[in-house]
Amino acid sequence: MNFELSEEQQLLQDSVARFVADHYSLEARRKLADSTQGYSDEHWKQFAELGWLALPFSEEDGGLGGTVIDALVVMEQFGKGLILEPYFATVILGGGVLKRLPASESRTARINAVMEGQLKLALATTELQSRWDLHDVVSTATADGDGFVLNGAKSVVLHGASADGIIVSLRTQGGQFDKDGISLFWVDPKADGVSLKAYPTVDGLRAAELTLEKVAVPSDALLGPLHGGYEILDAVAQEATLALSAEGLGAMERLYKDTVEYTQNREQFDHPLSDFQTLQHRMVEMFMEYEQCKSLLYRATLEFAQDGMAASKSVSACKHLVGVAGRFIGENAVQLHGGMGVTEELAIGHYFKRLFVIDTQFGNADYHLERYAA
Amino acid sequence: MDIELSKADLEFREEVTAFLDGNAYKPGEDYAAWRLNWFKAAAEKGGWDVPKWPAAFGGPGWTPTQHYIWEQETATRNLPWDLPFGVGMVAPIIMTYGNAEQQARFLPDIRARTVNWCQGYSEPGAGSDLAALKTKAELSEDGTHYVVNGSKIWTTMAHIADWIFCLTRTSSEGKKQEGITFLLFPMKQDGVEVKPIITLGGSHTVNTVHFTDVKVPVENRIGEEGKGWTYAKGLLAHERTGLAGVSRSLVALEKLRRQAGKVKRGNGSLLEDPSFKSKLARLEIDLKALEYTELRSLARAAAGAQPGPESSIMKLKGTEIQQRIALLTTEAAGPFAAPWGGASVGPSFASGGTQSYLGSRAYTIYGGASEVQKDIIAKNVLGLKAKSKAS
Repeated sequence: MNFELSEEQQLLQDSVARFVADHYSLEARRKLADSTQGYSDEHWKQFAELGWLALPFSEEDGGLGGTVIDALVVMEQFGKGLILEPYFATVILGGGVLKRLPASESRTARINAVMEGQLKLALATTELQSRWDLHDVVSTATADGDGFVLNGAKSVVLHGASADGIIVSLRTQGGQFDKDGISLFWVDPKADGVSLKAYPTVDGLRAAELTLEKVAVPSDALLGPLHGGYEILDAVAQEATLALSAEGLGAMERLYKDTVEYTQNREQFDHPLSDFQTLQHRMVEMFMEYEQCKSLLYRATLEFAQDGMAASKSVSACKHLVGVAGRFIGENAVQLHGGMGVTEELAIGHYFKRLFVIDTQFGNADYHLERYAA
Repeated sequence: MDIELSKADLEFREEVTAFLDGNAYKPGEDYAAWRLNWFKAAAEKGGWDVPKWPAAFGGPGWTPTQHYIWEQETATRNLPWDLPFGVGMVAPIIMTYGNAEQQARFLPDIRARTVNWCQGYSEPGAGSDLAALKTKAELSEDGTHYVVNGSKIWTTMAHIADWIFCLTRTSSEGKKQEGITFLLFPMKQDGVEVKPIITLGGSHTVNTVHFTDVKVPVENRIGEEGKGWTYAKGLLAHERTGLAGVSRSLVALEKLRRQAGKVKRGNGSLLEDPSFKSKLARLEIDLKALEYTELRSLARAAAGAQPGPESSIMKLKGTEIQQRIALLTTEAAGPFAAPWGGASVGPSFASGGTQSYLGSRAYTIYGGASEVQKDIIAKNVLGLKAKSKAS
C-alpha cells in the first residue's frame, strides 16, 4: 500500500503549483474574472505547452496516458489557485467524452486540437427539470434524411459561450427518464438555430444557457452509439465528480490554513483569536473534515483507477463529504474571519464561493447521499 | 397561561389589517411621498409609527399580544423601507440617557423618518472586542466641543446617513470600558469620509468611515463623558432582539415551501424528496420554538423588565434559522444556484436565494458574533465565571 505520489506526479504537482504562484494572485484573478471571456488565452497556451491538456488522453492518441490520479494532482492545485480557465469543461468533460468514442478521423482531429490548445469544449447535460439526473432528458434529436434535427434547451453549460464545440445529450428514443435512448451530439455553436446566453457564475467562472431550435446536423454529428450515450455520460460524470472533489479539497486546504494563520494574527480581548479554546476546537474540526475528505478522495480515486464504474459508490461518498465538509469549512472560515470574511477583499470569500458552486455541480451532498444509500 | 386571542385582540387584528391594507402602496404612486405619508397616518393611529416606543414618548403602549399581532400582519406586507438605526436604536438611548433638550431636538425627526442615522461602533481593531475602540474625541481647551479622529468599519448605510451615533474614546485610563463617550454628529461635513465595502453577496451596504478633525459640540454628547459603554450596552440588547426576525423567517419558510413545490424531482416535486422534506420540517420546528421564545420575551418586556439574557438566545437562534432558510433555498434551486446576479435562469427564486445565502453569512457576525453571544449567555445566564476568556 502506498499513498505517495510518483516522481512524475510530484513534478506535475510542482509545476501546477508554480503556475498558480506565478499567475494567480487574488488581484490577477479578480482582473481575469472581470474580463468579458473570464479567463486568459495566454494561460491556455501555457497549459498546452506544459502538456496539461494532453494529460488524460492515451499514448495511442498522442496524449500522456495520465490516469484519474494525475487529474487529481492537477485539479487539487487548481483548487488552491481558483483557476478560471476551462480545463474542467474542455479536458475532463469534453475530453472525457472524446476519449471514450470509437476511432474515427474526426475523433483524432478533435483530440489533437484539444491537446494543442486549439479546441475548447463544453458538455451540455442539465435541463430545466433534470437537476443532476443525467438520464432525465427531454431535448430531442430526430433523424431527418441523412442527418438529425436537434431541438430543446440545456442549462448552466459550463464555459458554453467560449467553447468551439459543445457536446449535447439528447433524446433519440424512449421516455423522459429512460437511460436507453439518449445520444450525444457534436454541436457547432455557430450553426443556424443554436443560441447561447452567457453569464458569470457565483465563483467568477462562466456558464451559458443553450437553445437548439431546428438545428440541422449531419449524421457524423452523432458521437458514439445511437441511443447509447448514457453509458459514456455516466463514466464521464464519475471522473468529473472526482475532479471537482479534488478541486474542492484544494480550496478547503487553503481555507483552513488561512483561518489558522488569520486567528494567530488578529487580536481581540488582548489575545490573538487563536488563544480562544472554542475557536481552536472549531479549527480542529475544520482540519479533521479536510483530512476525512482527502481520505475519501484517495479511496474513490484509487478504486476508480482499479475498478472503473464499480467504484461509483465510493465516488458518491466522496462528493457527499466534499459537499458537507466544504460547506462546514467554508462557512466557518468566513465566521472566524469576522467582518473581513464576508467581504470580497480576502481570498477566503472566493474559496467559499467556489466550494458553494462545486456543490451545485454533478450532484450536491444530498443527491450523492441518496445515490450512496440506494 | 393561555393562547386564546381575546375579543379585543381579534378586533385589534382587524384594525391593523384595515390600516395596512388601506394605506398600502399603489403602483405608480410617488414612493417617497407615500412613505412619509404612511408614517404620518400610522402616527395618527396613536403611535403605530413607533410601536416599540414607550407611551410617554408617543408609543402605542401595546400589550405583548398586540405586538405579536402587529409583527405577524406586517411580515406579510410591504411596509415602507425603514432603517433600524433611528427609531429602533438611537432613539431609546436618547430617551433614556439624553436630556430634555436633546429629546426635543432629535426625536421628532427620527420619528418622521426625515433623517437617516447610522451606527459608529466597530473599528478595524475593535470587532467582537468592541470596548477596544480607539476613535479619539478630544475636548477643546474652552470646553465647547470635541475633536474626533479615527475610523469606523462595517458602518451600515453610512453612505446615505445624515447623522451618526458614535462611540468615541475620551480617556485611555482605567478599564477600557471606561473612557468611552457617546456622541451624535452630522455625516455630511468636512472631515467625514465614507468608503464602500463590497460584500460576498455583491452588494454595497457597509462602509468604512474615516474622521479627520471633526468638530462635535458638547451639546451633542449623550449623558456623561466616559459613560458611553453603559449606554451602548443597553442598546445592544435592543439590537439583538430586533435581529431575530421570527415573523420574517416564518414568511420566508412558507415562501420556500411554495417554491419547492414547483421544483420538479422525477415525476413529483422537491417537496416529496425525503431529505429536503425533513430539512424543511426541522426548520419549521425550530422556528415554532423560537416564536414562543420571542413571545415569552415580549411578555417580560410588557411586565416592565429590560430585555434580558433571552435576547441573546433570540439573536443566536434567529440568525441561524435565517441562514438555514437561505441555504435550503439554494438547495431547492439545485444547479441553478450557481448562476450569478442578473442571469435570471432557472426557477425565479434561484438568484435571489444565492444572494441571500451569501449575505446571510454576516448575520452570525454582526450585532455581536455568535461566539460573543454564547459568552454572554455563559456569564449572565449560567453564571459561569469568565476567569480567563482565553484558555
